[in-house]
Amino acid sequence: MQVLRSAYFLMLRGLRESARQPAVELTNIFIPMFFFAVTVGAIGNIAAGAFGVDNFVGFQMPVAILQAVAGTAGMAGIATTVDIERGYFDKLLLTPAPRLSLVLGRLAADSVRAMLLTGLVLIAGSFAGAGMEAGPFGFVAILVLAGLFGLVYSAIGMAIALRTGSPQAAQAGFLIFFPLLFLSPAFAPKEVFAGWLEFLATINPVTYVLQGMRHLILEGWSWRALAEATGSILGLGVLTLSLALAALRYRTS
Amino acid sequence: MTAISAESLVKHFAADIKAVDGIDLAIPEGQIFGFLGPNGSGKTTTVRMLTTLLRPTGGRAEVAGLDVERQAHEVRRQIGVALQDAGLDELQTGRELLHLQGHLYALSAGDIKPRARHLLGIVDLEESADRKIKTYSGGMRRRLDLAAALMHRPKIVFLDEPTTGLDPISREAIWRYVRELNRDEGATFFLTTQYLEEADRLADDLAIMNFGKIVAQGTPKQLKDSIGADVITVHIEGDAAETARAAAVARELDGVEDVRIVDDTVTVYVRDGRRAIARVVLLLDQANLGVAEVSLAHPTLDDVFLRKTGNHLEPDAAVTGTDGSEAGGREASA
Ligand SMILES: Nc1ncnc2c1ncn2[C@@H]1O[C@H](COP(=O)(O)OP(=O)(O)O)[C@@H](O)[C@H]1O
Ligand SMILES: [Mg+2]
Repeated sequence: MQVLRSAYFLMLRGLRESARQPAVELTNIFIPMFFFAVTVGAIGNIAAGAFGVDNFVGFQMPVAILQAVAGTAGMAGIATTVDIERGYFDKLLLTPAPRLSLVLGRLAADSVRAMLLTGLVLIAGSFAGAGMEAGPFGFVAILVLAGLFGLVYSAIGMAIALRTGSPQAAQAGFLIFFPLLFLSPAFAPKEVFAGWLEFLATINPVTYVLQGMRHLILEGWSWRALAEATGSILGLGVLTLSLALAALRYRTS
Repeated sequence: MTAISAESLVKHFAADIKAVDGIDLAIPEGQIFGFLGPNGSGKTTTVRMLTTLLRPTGGRAEVAGLDVERQAHEVRRQIGVALQDAGLDELQTGRELLHLQGHLYALSAGDIKPRARHLLGIVDLEESADRKIKTYSGGMRRRLDLAAALMHRPKIVFLDEPTTGLDPISREAIWRYVRELNRDEGATFFLTTQYLEEADRLADDLAIMNFGKIVAQGTPKQLKDSIGADVITVHIEGDAAETARAAAVARELDGVEDVRIVDDTVTVYVRDGRRAIARVVLLLDQANLGVAEVSLAHPTLDDVFLRKTGNHLEPDAAVTGTDGSEAGGREASA
């Protein structure tokens, strides 16, 4: 209980911080939107002929969402290294707030921002004609998936931050996302991949998050696709949160 | 009751860095306890162990009757801490920082706002309370950090060099808050400092640290009285040999208890300094020694430090401020 209470107030602090550095979030939303527009402009017209995707805007929207989420989910780690460098992290450690809340508060802030940016991408996508076969609940489901993915993903940067205390290292955590994204059916369906790439895409959790969101947009409600997406996020989460907690223990012992 | 106690407390960072080398403390409730020592003597390391941030290598310590290792969580509820480098969050306002602090100590929402307002008033930050901390000066940060440390009404407060680097006015202000809080709320203060004057004027009781060890302990008065003599300080013109010769001359004088040489000054500890000073000058003159300056004083904490360590206690060179190195009255000079 006290964990959630403290985490809640630390989350509010994290969000206040973002609101006061709007330029940071602008980058996090601008880059995915830019790639979204460019990819659709470049391959959109041939996608139907090349690999049978008629609604390429809808097909690409989840890529933009995950890019935005991964960008903003690097903040927890980076902000934590700033706290460590300034000595404010020590001040937090001196309070009776449960240690876990120091991690959870930051992750929750990233998760909330991830949902906000996802909302922006969804709005832009809708104007561009992405559509939503699953109806209004499809939007909600995508927001929730994005929030969960953001939470789990930001734990990577957090783990690096707590372990190294270095902002550069925490920033590099973002780079992990690129192989994960490109080793998924981000730009074309998995069926057209070469064998080795298809194998890597199959074991990549991002694939299922992407496919889950895509299914909602292009085909409609699917419990199975949602379960696969949620399951892969939770699986990834067990790994990343364990790393973050191990790093926290390392720093505080 | 004892607020803070330590037995053979030790912290080694590496085999050869004995930051704290076996100290004992027994600090009663309600005291302002001064922990005086030069840069690198182990003050911060001691504070970090007592406040649960650092695990001791050996020995044990209790704060508010709780073991700092085994009951770290309970200790944290009892203490307020302002660390040496006021680590604050630049993007929040002063008020927001205090409110967050209150929430993390699980104060009730109804308590937090008035408490923050009250403390902001005490440390004279009402006007800037709603500005971002990154616009605050060093002195304002220290005051805010002090307020943050007091948010949950701790009975025991640790302040690690709260006035280092501050201008004289800010320093006086911090002293005033500490005295008021000690008087009005009965809080125990553990205050580290490099400044003799601060220790002398603020502390009820005092420990002097050097190289990880406590070299003297007592009230400022006891420590100064322990010198048991007046202090005549003589600056000699000429080289080290002249200074040494002057020291030898001074040693011959009646009533001299001790003579110390540091650089070009000879410090003579002598009973009844008023009578001795004229004799000292006369003897030095007869020995053809050039006296650049001579002064007579009651012993200061610096004399205590000098007696125990062979060196003067000089604050960090990077630190400027008032003449913090001169505590106790210089009585006469010739
Ligand atoms: N984390 C650390 N690692 C290695 N040595 C340290 C560390 N912290 C302090 N020291 C050393 O321990 C000694 C005491 O330092 P400190 O407690 O900071 O002294 P003070 O606060 O009195 O200036 C110094 O020699 C310092 O260099
Ligand atoms: Mg220190």
